[in-house]
Amino acid sequence: MTSLTLFLWASLILLALGLVGLITRRTIVGMLISVELLLNGAGLSIVAAAKTSSTNGLVDIHGQLAALFVMGLAAAEATIVLAMVLVAQRRFGTVATEAITTIKGSKA
Amino acid sequence: MNSIIEQILHNIGHLLDSCEAFLAPILPGQGIAALIAFFFYVLLLLGGGLTAVLARNLVRAMLGLVITFLGVAGMYLLLASPFLALMQLLIYIGAVCVLIFFAIMLTKNTTDGEETRCPNPINVLYAFLAALAPIVVAGPIIYLQTQTDPLQVQKIPVHTPVDSGANLGEGLLSMDLLPFELISIILLVAMAGAVFLAFKPQRSPNS
Repeated sequence: MTSLTLFLWASLILLALGLVGLITRRTIVGMLISVELLLNGAGLSIVAAAKTSSTNGLVDIHGQLAALFVMGLAAAEATIVLAMVLVAQRRFGTVATEAITTIKGSKA
Repeated sequence: MNSIIEQILHNIGHLLDSCEAFLAPILPGQGIAALIAFFFYVLLLLGGGLTAVLARNLVRAMLGLVITFLGVAGMYLLLASPFLALMQLLIYIGAVCVLIFFAIMLTKNTTDGEETRCPNPINVLYAFLAALAPIVVAGPIIYLQTQTDPLQVQKIPVHTPVDSGANLGEGLLSMDLLPFELISIILLVAMAGAVFLAFKPQRSPNS
């Protein structure tokens, strides 16, 4: 069993836990937490694959930079979701996903 | 006194030897200390992730998320990429967690929100079953595809061809220039979009 196996299984754990959270959480905020778990697993698997499957320095740099881009996207996504949470709270009075079922609100 | 310490060290050495004898057939060629660190980080991932997913109080869930981020940062250290570990701490724990904390606090979800109601245990069971799907599909593929290591780069901590931040910066400005510029645009658009969404215009009193 190589180290790549171990690291990929660790990221698979993160993927599974994030999926469980996405299914069971009932508010946008809880789902945001689960999505962060998923993105962490993605970054970990990218870096592990790049580090352990090549001795080429360029592949290594590519892998680390790809993980950095994933982190940047996660930060942008968290910002947008925070704004969406604020809008939903203002418009519906709650962030429960069962209550937010209309795209066009009755009253802006 | 010295003999007691020697005895203790001797026993610890025996313990590590037996650990290595136990783990060696499963994990050939791994350093024992790195393996202990790895499984400690896996414990952090599991405990923090389960807390983040199952805690009924969203602030506790966010603390579990912080534990998970720490575990992933440790894994980056084991993967010989200290810059990524530092960025993990700065971006995720420093920025994303603060954003999530704002989201929790601005929606009054800590004590009387929708999340505090206990979910149906059957539903949680179904969620875990659904999450087994990627494990069942990808786990054997990972196991089979990573058995042969043609490069023999298989020890934890990973041998690193490149480990300096200067190389990362050069890569960012040469071969990954387009994604770098694109992500700066994405961050700008996200910031502008967040301000646009959440900005509430003040009605002036005489209009």
